[in-house]
Amino acid sequence: MNDCRMTKERMILALYGELDPAEKERLDAHLRSCPDCASEYASLEAALRLMDRRERPDPGPAFWEGYWDRLSKRMLWESIENGRRPSPAGRLARAFSRLPRWSLQAAAAAALLLVGILVGGRLIPRPGAPGPETAAAGPSSAIAAPSPAVVQAENFIDRSKVLLLGLVNFDPAVEDAYALDLARTKAVSRELLTEAADVRRGLSQPGQRRLRDLVAELEVIMLQIANLESGQDLEGVELVKQGVDSKSLFLKIDLDRMSRAGGGAALPPAPGGVGSSNKSRV
Amino acid sequence: MDESAIIEGMARGEERAFRELVERYKKKVYYLSLDMAGNPVDAEDISQEVFLKVYRSFATFRRGAKLGSWLYRVTYNAAIDHLRRKGAAPEPVADEVLELRSQDGAGLPRSRAADPVAAAEESELQARIAKALEKVSPQERAVFLLRHNEDLMLKDIAETLGLSIGSVKSYLFRAVRKLQKELCGAAPVAGLEAPHE
Ligand SMILES: [Zn+2]
Repeated sequence: MNDCRMTKERMILALYGELDPAEKERLDAHLRSCPDCASEYASLEAALRLMDRRERPDPGPAFWEGYWDRLSKRMLWESIENGRRPSPAGRLARAFSRLPRWSLQAAAAAALLLVGILVGGRLIPRPGAPGPETAAAGPSSAIAAPSPAVVQAENFIDRSKVLLLGLVNFDPAVEDAYALDLARTKAVSRELLTEAADVRRGLSQPGQRRLRDLVAELEVIMLQIANLESGQDLEGVELVKQGVDSKSLFLKIDLDRMSRAGGGAALPPAPGGVGSSNKSRV
Repeated sequence: MDESAIIEGMARGEERAFRELVERYKKKVYYLSLDMAGNPVDAEDISQEVFLKVYRSFATFRRGAKLGSWLYRVTYNAAIDHLRRKGAAPEPVADEVLELRSQDGAGLPRSRAADPVAAAEESELQARIAKALEKVSPQERAVFLLRHNEDLMLKDIAETLGLSIGSVKSYLFRAVRKLQKELCGAAPVAGLEAPHE
């Protein structure tokens, strides 16, 4: 009978509802009268029904909850690795220049975290908790808990440092202008500005002059940043970076930390120096 | 955030939009990657590559197109690239892994731990299905699973993956034949392949 020409292909299309109606009708009529084809059709259908019961292994809620974090870490490391070692043609660097702005901010934050661990954890004594390594050196454990004004100043300095690290890490020769979120940077600098005067006033003790001066210098830089033109003011950014350099602000911040901690210790890593040793993807 | 808001946000390079896109599509992208690669480690790797690509080349996304379809296409291509780079045939999920998963009950979406006999049968069936899928190439698997699991029409699969309708059909036919052979043990019925009169 002619209709045994109904090939498997047509049966498969029919099973997925993709056979046109006229052909489908012919196929159905044929299946009613041809046991061979009917059994073939039944076998195909059975296989597909078994496939309906297929279950894909679910990696579990922890996998899904951590998905974004693992992805953004990979993006961060790839942007750091590629940003630091552009290919000769610069094409690779270009490809990665469109990486998220937040990945650079995250790089700055990661740098600060390291600075925080080095400077904060080891050198600045916490009340009631002597610094792990410097405690042996003596003086740090003897220092009294800092006054609220000093804590406020430290907080101000820390936040200024994150902001400046973001700017200093930004290299327009390698990165796209959009890698730097200037609008956000400006907003934070304005926020810091509103606090600066208050912070300075709190530092009225004779021994706090250097700290006060540092806050004042940061205030000037914040003012400069807040006044950058909207859009991508790369020239302005360059000027701010030069200002930070000429005033050696990072060095001052770190020296200030050390002098108050009463001990000499390792300098924090150079800005942007994190990540290069950590290639692992998490 | 609806799809058009995600697209607008992505075009402006907003983190929030990108995160929303990832959260919304991570499962689809991961599972298609898993279906094609056959193992969870490669699947996550491929799915991350997909989102990196999506972020970097969002400019090539055609306005008016469906985000989901575009992601399927990027995933399909990323998986093929990934498997080609690895140079090896995809490694399907090993039976032991499957059994382990069904034993601890965490790996599989629905737990049938209540009835041990049913659970054993179920785990045997899943192993058979996994084994059958091993015989199917990554391309054939992708087409089959988009048709069978995601219920995409063949013409949409062709458009989504950038293949001709003829290729899509032949991938599907080959996949179904192999699965039938593995699952139903059916040798082709005599006389069916070649028409008889
Ligand atoms: Zn027949």
